[in-house]
Amino acid sequence: MHEASLVRSLLRQVGELLVEHGGESIVTIRVEMGPLSGVERPLVEIAFAEQVDSTPCRGAELKVEEVPLSAICRECGNEFDIERFRFVCPACESTRVRVISGEEFRLLDIEIRQPQTESVSREQP
Amino acid sequence: MNAATKTIPVNRDVKAELRRQAEELRQQFARHGTLVINVLSSPGAGKTALLEATAKHWAGQRKMAVLVGDLATDRDAQRLAPHCPVEQLTTGGACHLEIPLVKQGLEKLGSDDFDFLFIENVGNLVCPASHDLAEHLRVVLLSVTEGDDKPGKYPKMFRTSQTMVISKLDLLPHVPFSVDAAIEDARLIQPELTTISVCSLNGDGIADWCDYLDECRQSLLSPLWTTDPHSTAQ
Repeated sequence: MHEASLVRSLLRQVGELLVEHGGESIVTIRVEMGPLSGVERPLVEIAFAEQVDSTPCRGAELKVEEVPLSAICRECGNEFDIERFRFVCPACESTRVRVISGEEFRLLDIEIRQPQTESVSREQP
Repeated sequence: MNAATKTIPVNRDVKAELRRQAEELRQQFARHGTLVINVLSSPGAGKTALLEATAKHWAGQRKMAVLVGDLATDRDAQRLAPHCPVEQLTTGGACHLEIPLVKQGLEKLGSDDFDFLFIENVGNLVCPASHDLAEHLRVVLLSVTEGDDKPGKYPKMFRTSQTMVISKLDLLPHVPFSVDAAIEDARLIQPELTTISVCSLNGDGIADWCDYLDECRQSLLSPLWTTDPHSTAQ
């Protein structure tokens, strides 16, 4: 079960982005995973729930997008979803296929709450 | 009034930074002429036995070292120590190795003057598949006692490997295992998989395995050598 360490890394990266963008807090964290991402959604969600409140991301909601395992055939250019991990093009039966989605655990975007500044009132004398 | 919110697009692999470190290290090894091999399998499939047999076969004619990962104990390191430089990486319960632990192990080895660096991963066919350890070659062992249906059950492990070593070949007469069926199942997942069958205890197939490693070192690294590496081809 390595989801705990991946979620720890995710939260650290989001914490750094929060500082970099001068946000006050994190509202949502949107991630993507697929059948070959090497992570299980329920385990990621449990690890997130256990860890989030002890980080600068406390209070954030995790949104998980599940994508299919998709590939493109290097022979005929056909794009297709891989069923049952059989890496064969259904159009030309070539095994020369390149995976284009579903094998990474990706951080897609974050929604941050920005601090309420007084600049507006200062700019309007 | 609610504070304003803003969406920041990121769109990167959560492991992007670890991958960058791994890539940097991989290139560094390549320039030194060191082929790095990540050896993976379920517990007890014969990773340590394969490395012992490899070291005995080369008998000092190749400079090899091993970083060996385990949750606890240094038993594997003790087995390998008579044959080659070895450092135990104890994960303290973690189910896989990650690049920072490999870097610590390299510091302890105290030398990078090797033709082959083997990283014997924690016995596990799941989590280690997701972690790039700067290897040039990923080798998965499948012992005949595990059953020939395993590749399809652990697709990420077999998909991300370049080589499958079928081990414990001497037990083949005693178990319902078809080498052909295992290879066929694995190649549905990874069509370009190279397969080698060995028995580490009696040495069958070990010469082929070692020749294969020499070929890999030549083909994968020689385009990247910046200076004459400590070549074995005298």
